Amino acid sequence: MNITEALKITQSVPRDARPFAVTLACGFTPLHLQTFLAAYIQQSIPDRKVTISTGLYGNLVGTLESISAESLPDGLVIALEWPDLDARLDYRSAGSWSAAAVNDIVSHAKSALDRLASALAKILAGPRISLSLPTLPLPPLFHTPGWQASAHQLHLESDLLRFAADVAQEGRVAIVNTQRLDEASPADARFDLKSDLYTGLPYTTQHADRLASQLATALLPPAPKKGIISDLDDTLWSGIVGEIGPDAVTWDLASHAQLHGLYQKLLGSLADSGTLIAAASKNDPAVVRQAFDRPDLLLRTDQVFPIEVHWKAKSGSVTRILETWNIAADSVIFVDDSPMELAEVAAAHPGIECVLFPKNDYAAGLAMLRQLRDRCGKERVSNDDALRLESIRQGAAFREQTAGGTAPETFLQDINAVVTFDFAAGNEPRVFELVNKTNQFNLNGRRYTESDWRKLISAPGAVLAAVRYEDKFGPLGTIAVLAGQVDGRCLNVDAWVMSCRAFARRIEHQTLKLLFGSAGVSEMQFSFAPTAKNGPTREFFTAVLGEEPQSDFRLTRSQFEEKCPALYHEVREMRRAEAHG
Amino acid sequence: MDETRQRLTNCFQVVFPDMPPDEIPAASTATVANWDSVAAITLMNVIEDEFGMQMDLDDLADLDSFEKLLAYLQKRQQVA
Repeated sequence: MNITEALKITQSVPRDARPFAVTLACGFTPLHLQTFLAAYIQQSIPDRKVTISTGLYGNLVGTLESISAESLPDGLVIALEWPDLDARLDYRSAGSWSAAAVNDIVSHAKSALDRLASALAKILAGPRISLSLPTLPLPPLFHTPGWQASAHQLHLESDLLRFAADVAQEGRVAIVNTQRLDEASPADARFDLKSDLYTGLPYTTQHADRLASQLATALLPPAPKKGIISDLDDTLWSGIVGEIGPDAVTWDLASHAQLHGLYQKLLGSLADSGTLIAAASKNDPAVVRQAFDRPDLLLRTDQVFPIEVHWKAKSGSVTRILETWNIAADSVIFVDDSPMELAEVAAAHPGIECVLFPKNDYAAGLAMLRQLRDRCGKERVSNDDALRLESIRQGAAFREQTAGGTAPETFLQDINAVVTFDFAAGNEPRVFELVNKTNQFNLNGRRYTESDWRKLISAPGAVLAAVRYEDKFGPLGTIAVLAGQVDGRCLNVDAWVMSCRAFARRIEHQTLKLLFGSAGVSEMQFSFAPTAKNGPTREFFTAVLGEEPQSDFRLTRSQFEEKCPALYHEVREMRRAEAHG
Repeated sequence: MDETRQRLTNCFQVVFPDMPPDEIPAASTATVANWDSVAAITLMNVIEDEFGMQMDLDDLADLDSFEKLLAYLQKRQQVA
């Protein structure tokens, strides 16, 4: 992106768009970094008007310390550079580079990092934060020649990394990956001494662009893909299993098939953090089963579900896998070594991301592994992520027993269902994640930034219910969230989502029943909007109201009770924050 | 209007979107309140993008009006 393009992006937003306020904290003159940052953030949230405020020159920590609970921005971006740790590291400074000064710089930098950590700790409960560690080289002030790292430099870097590891652990601070930035912005094309001395911006225009892009992505990362559907022959393993047999397919170093082994390891790692993995292959099911039984497989068989193996079109396999997972094609990646198969699946499933497995191209193979991690990687892994695949298996068993979609009363009575309503889970990452990624049972499709979400759940009269579910098939984890505000005898519901894994269990009915009682209201006002994907929500409300809603509507308690079917759940309530330990 | 003048006008419209087009030819740091040091550097970068050239920060202080920028660009184009 160049400056002109960046300016045009920020100027093309309707003036009446809802503002999204970002504070850019840096010790230098932000200039183009600010322009590019505004443009990249704007691209992520085109329906908002991004505004960026900056602090005083040379006072990054002061900018952070000036952020109060009353003036929290929607996002906070911190571009740290060495002069923020000690002004003598600034080319614009007249401070000494003497041997004595160097010792003092190391010591002072550590204190500055402590102060920075302290300032961050005070606003950690506030906006989402992205932070870049110093991107520019240190000035040549150490006694060693430039090709040798001095002990002072290593101490500085060590203290910096310790600080970064500590704040990253807090969860709300996303640190820009310096290795990835190194690839995007070559080290020798970052620093512009003349610009630094003349204008106070030390970055080349190109570096300002690349850094802004990564800071913006760290601030507002794209939603991760939910699943990967993989081919088997010459993809999960090397060789055609139906031709050479299950014992002869390979994925190891000695067979020069390590790329397939790395792919298996990556899929296993993604599965551990909640990405769904399935297989689609044109093959003999019995032979594939034998291959999956091999003990040296690097991807555990129980991490792959469903496995679709037959001789029919792969697009049909993908259809059934998506039905089993109950997610849309645009949340999924399909990996195959055959361009023809990729094209066939892409034609049948618009929106699916098709990735070619480059079996003999190692550079492309590495790029593919990184692409899959980038698409599916998560900032945090929750207990619910670990439960996801198992709950889908259970869901498949559940659906088999309730064939036809309507659960027979005796079946629902006998599954020992427990629904837990947690009214103190507003700050749980899983709750925020669920609200922002659920499509089918979603009151209005609205997505929230973290700051918008916090405002919603901390408003006067706010009610937030996070719903967990388990039955004799196992736990589904946190599967629904409802948020709104009580206004007199009415509960205004702004957000209501439920995972598709939890359909057909009458959890939505139980949710309304409990809230009518516990919130002490006689009616609910739903902020409803039809979307391309929230058909299940429309169907639920149509059944309750007797007509399909088109926009906001009210539901009285008596209306609901008249249509509410029998409910067999054991209901538990958690109301105190201490419940989360 | 010659091509250089038009392209420079476009640059001004990008950097000063609220400026009426008919005021651009007479624009200078003395008449445009928003034309501060930050806008000057941004304008320089937009001109670099538009004309595919590198400008020197040393020249920035002297290039304080539309007409001076136009003359500067015409001179650079003649040299090239």
